[in-house]
Amino acid sequence: MRNRYHMSLVTLVMSTLIGAIAMPASAADEYAYDLVHSSVSFKARHLGISWIHGRFNEVEGKFSLDREDPTKSTFELTIKVDSVDTANAARDEHLRQPDYFDTKQFPTITFRSTKVKAIDGGYEVAGDFTMHGTTKNITLTLTGGKEHDFKGTKRVAFSTELSLKRSDFGFDKRAIGPIGDEALIIIDCEGVKK
Amino acid sequence: MPDPFLYLSASGAAALASAIPFLAISALVMARARRIASINAPASTSVHGTGPQPGSATGWPAACVVAMGLGLAVGSFVLLRRSVWPPSSALERLLTVVIPAVLIIEWIAGLQRVPHWFTWLLRIGLAAMIPRILWHGSVYLSGADSQWEAWQSATAWLLCSVLLASVWGLLGRLAERAPGASLPFGLGLTISSAGLTIMLAGYIEGGAMAFPLTAALLATTGGVWLARTCSDSLPRAKVAADRDTSSNCRSLMNSGGAAILGIGIAGLYGLLFIGHFFGRLSTMTAMTLLLSPLLCWVTEVPFLRHRHPWLVGSLRLAFVAIPLAVVLILAKRDFDRDMAPLLSLLIP
Repeated sequence: MRNRYHMSLVTLVMSTLIGAIAMPASAADEYAYDLVHSSVSFKARHLGISWIHGRFNEVEGKFSLDREDPTKSTFELTIKVDSVDTANAARDEHLRQPDYFDTKQFPTITFRSTKVKAIDGGYEVAGDFTMHGTTKNITLTLTGGKEHDFKGTKRVAFSTELSLKRSDFGFDKRAIGPIGDEALIIIDCEGVKK
Repeated sequence: MPDPFLYLSASGAAALASAIPFLAISALVMARARRIASINAPASTSVHGTGPQPGSATGWPAACVVAMGLGLAVGSFVLLRRSVWPPSSALERLLTVVIPAVLIIEWIAGLQRVPHWFTWLLRIGLAAMIPRILWHGSVYLSGADSQWEAWQSATAWLLCSVLLASVWGLLGRLAERAPGASLPFGLGLTISSAGLTIMLAGYIEGGAMAFPLTAALLATTGGVWLARTCSDSLPRAKVAADRDTSSNCRSLMNSGGAAILGIGIAGLYGLLFIGHFFGRLSTMTAMTLLLSPLLCWVTEVPFLRHRHPWLVGSLRLAFVAIPLAVVLILAKRDFDRDMAPLLSLLIP
């Protein structure tokens, strides 16, 4: 009986030690992209005098924040290009064509972080931005990052804007026409802790 | 935005690129034919003389392939003005993979020693591969973003391959049975109509590619016709040798015509495939355009078949033009309904 107790105690200690060694010591919190409280929108110049606005309605992503070592944080975003919405069905359909987004060939726009740096008020995130079959390394400045607890669910939000030229990503310059080459993308992202 | 001047430039460049080398080759072949005919004249008095063949059996088909290839290369370069390698879109794969493959196959088909069945085996094999090539990396193949199940992809692949092989075979059979310039001209008419329809459906660059293709096809056909005219005008003093030259030239031009048709059909199919699966071209419209050239078969009915060639040719073009006109009218109607309001927003 005494031996059995002794063996059980040893087993318990060994299990605890093995579990502690096996589990990585991670301080990163994982967050899932909350589509309901997030948006990816864009605007582009029309004839150089006004703006045409649009958004993508189907977006998914995730990010992990390591408060102790921000360089270990990661950010991922995937946009379904088919979900483009400029409040005009004919224009949306036209934008899906091969002359523009070519959604049958390039169904997604993605961003994958490669380097993260904490800055005052947020993070500076460098990563691979892929659109229309072309990948370029860009740097985003994310503002935000404070965690908020709402009804027992932890939430974090970031905002960023980026300006890019469609011609840099394989869009036909001649198809650009009266709509400007440069587009401004605004991302407001809220993540829910897993 | 559509640029008519650019399309004219691309078409002109394609036509020029197709015509010049073909005419140069034609002149060389005809000069050689005359030289050999003058050597053969004293000894050979029968059609099946024992002298050397008056002209290369592979000259005309190879000339057609070279002319079409050059025309397409120059025309597409002028039109697109960008590198298409490595290909990232279906149109680029059509230009860099499919068209060169067709050119190679038609070159092989023009070689005298290649059996007819082997040629068609190659064509059927290519017809089976074209859908896979054009769908590469798209949502139609299996993958994370695929919108089709594997069985749907396989079924569509099979149907598309069978369709192309059937049209190619039927048109090829007609070209062997009743050759004439009306076949490539009808095909050219169909290709240009397909291009306009694809543009009206919203895919401007894809539709515009039809214009240099049409120009190369018509210029090469014109070159063949001119060479045929030259062969007919050979001096008739050396009758047997001239008959050898003339009949060889006619049969060889038929082979050249097969090359023109093959490249034209593959190009037409490729544009319609891209317009349907990547653009907004409806299935009915794409099928109508693809099958229109087959209406040339109507002139094979007994009471039309032996009519004057000009009448038969004109009837063929008329039969092909009817469904094309209907398609274009409907495409314009849809454009006015769907795109015109959008253009009124874009263009003040």
